[in-house]
Amino acid sequence: MSLVHINIFLAFTVSLVGLLMYRSHLMSSLLCLEGMMLSLFVMATMTVLNTHFTLASMMPIILLVFAACEAALGLSLLVMVSNTYGVDHVQNLNLLQC
Amino acid sequence: MFSSLMLVSLLVLTLPIMSSIFNTYKNSTFPHHVKNTISYAFITSLIPTMMFIHSGQETIISNWHWMIMQTLKLSLSFKLDYFSMMFVPVALFVTWSIMEFSLWYMHSDPYITRFFKYLLTFLITMMILVTANNLFQLFIGWEGVGIMSFLLIGWWYGRTDANTAALQAILYNRIGDIGFIMAMAWFLFNTNTWDFQQIFMLDPNLTNLPLLGLLLAATGKSAQFGLHPWLPSAMEGPTPVSALLHSSTMVVAGVFLLIRFHPLMENNKTIQSLTLCLGAITTLFTAICALTQNDIKKIIAFSTSSQLGLMIVTIGINQPYLAFLHICTHAFFKAMLFMCSGSIIHSLYDEQDIRKMGGLFNAMPFTTTSLIIGSLALTGIPFLTGFYSKDLIIETANTSYTNAWALLMTLIATSLTAVYSTRIIFFALLGQPRFLPLTSINENNPFLINSIKRLLIGSIFAGSFISNNIYPTTVPEMTMPTYMKLTALAVTILGFTLALELSLMTHNLKLEHSTSVFKFSNLLGYYPTIMHRLPPLANLSMSQKSASLLLDSIWLENILPKSISQFQMKTSILISTQKGQIKLYFLSFLITLTLSMLLFNLHE
Repeated sequence: MSLVHINIFLAFTVSLVGLLMYRSHLMSSLLCLEGMMLSLFVMATMTVLNTHFTLASMMPIILLVFAACEAALGLSLLVMVSNTYGVDHVQNLNLLQC
Repeated sequence: MFSSLMLVSLLVLTLPIMSSIFNTYKNSTFPHHVKNTISYAFITSLIPTMMFIHSGQETIISNWHWMIMQTLKLSLSFKLDYFSMMFVPVALFVTWSIMEFSLWYMHSDPYITRFFKYLLTFLITMMILVTANNLFQLFIGWEGVGIMSFLLIGWWYGRTDANTAALQAILYNRIGDIGFIMAMAWFLFNTNTWDFQQIFMLDPNLTNLPLLGLLLAATGKSAQFGLHPWLPSAMEGPTPVSALLHSSTMVVAGVFLLIRFHPLMENNKTIQSLTLCLGAITTLFTAICALTQNDIKKIIAFSTSSQLGLMIVTIGINQPYLAFLHICTHAFFKAMLFMCSGSIIHSLYDEQDIRKMGGLFNAMPFTTTSLIIGSLALTGIPFLTGFYSKDLIIETANTSYTNAWALLMTLIATSLTAVYSTRIIFFALLGQPRFLPLTSINENNPFLINSIKRLLIGSIFAGSFISNNIYPTTVPEMTMPTYMKLTALAVTILGFTLALELSLMTHNLKLEHSTSVFKFSNLLGYYPTIMHRLPPLANLSMSQKSASLLLDSIWLENILPKSISQFQMKTSILISTQKGQIKLYFLSFLITLTLSMLLFNLHE
């Protein structure tokens, strides 16, 4: 694997870890999600351009569109939580506790 | 000669209105000018009428061609036939007397010139109505009398009751106008015209719909049952207004419309039965309501309504000429009754409640005389005016193949006429005085005396005069059993004696508790109470519920969004066992991922 690929792969991994391990703000999780999407986009574009596989150059763009949709969803959930509690600390999401 | 004189007579009426542009409007002799104008118009119209009686020749004057809308030609045309030629002099005579009376009655009113202008405008629109040859011109007159009625009922506009009464008149008339416009539209579609001649010549087959429309229009304008409450409420206007509009001229416009369409109505048995039953219900219901009223003008208003029902009954037994005769004779004594009541009211310093009158028999002899003669003419005492029309109607109804129940109700209403007439006479004239001691009883004014005297002579002689001088129309029933001939007289005398006995017997008794029958009669059969509150409330609440509750709240908000969210929340709380520890879940995911990658990558 070339150095560039390892670089991007490392960026993806760091974002993944950041998505799954965070302290209290839900916002940091969403930001890491965006980072994951960005690294995936760069990886896909690079591969397509290097192998001159022009037919597949749709894929990064469609990936970007769906990433935007999911970002909107995530933000709306964040806004809902923030409306109820004022801050987005993740320890507030305890409605399902019995 | 004939046509030009009639046109002159009609034109003369419009002169004072035109002169109101100039300064004669401002000085105080304008009312006298109006009264004189109407008397000149009356005398001028007598000449064509007498020519018509002599020769029997009907005329149609088509003056001014207004416009053509594709295939419909609208022009100004006057139909001078039996009905309009006889009605115009009668209406002008009665209006002349009423104008003279209102010179005395409205003497102290600061806007008396405007009052006379309104009355004159009303008279002009009424003349337009009766001389119209096409439905469009008739509709112009129809709406005109409606508007003038509104303006005149609300004459004392500072009074809330007067304003609501005027509004009530307009609303009820409007409901009737729906029927009129429906008839106009039907005639336009099916006979391509609004002219009477063409409609009667074409004689369309299925005339149910337009005649129903015209019946609805007559119900609205002539206060038949269902659209009747505006007439007693219209007594909020001054007495000359009640005398002119709501007894002689405007309310007969509905009956006049049905009379105009008699060639169509005589072929349609269904509509005739409907008319008969409607008239019978009206005459009985309003006569019952008149029995327990305490306002003298309201009793006379209900009496008018009852007589209008009788006219509609006459149309229902296919006798339009008799109905028209009753219109003409009724105008005389009803206007006189209103004027006498106006004289009483003014003399007792604006007291209208008959429980506070009494003993006027000796104090106001002239008014007493005319009131008694008017009541006798109303009930159809032989050989006074009312006899010639009313008795003929009852006889014809008795001997014709008609609905027995409608006939029975008409007979009961005839006897009730005598009852409430006796009630008026008993309470207003007989007994000891019940008004305040400081009185202003004065009937010495020449305006008052002359006007009532003219109508008095008319009430006594007009019936025989008109009946002997018109040309024969429909032949009245000549032979019938004696008991049938005397039916009307018998029920009238029965009514008189019953009412007198009851009044004398119960005169000094205390009224304990009102029985339910009394309450039914006094509150006008609960009809205004129910109809003015329930349908508007139902309509408004239904529209509010359907607009805001049904559409917005239920369909847009509740059906999909809120129901889905509620359902999801309830079921998720019901089903899930989680505790919401998100960080732990994320951490376990990460560890699983790392572990699996280590396991599956390191064995290569």
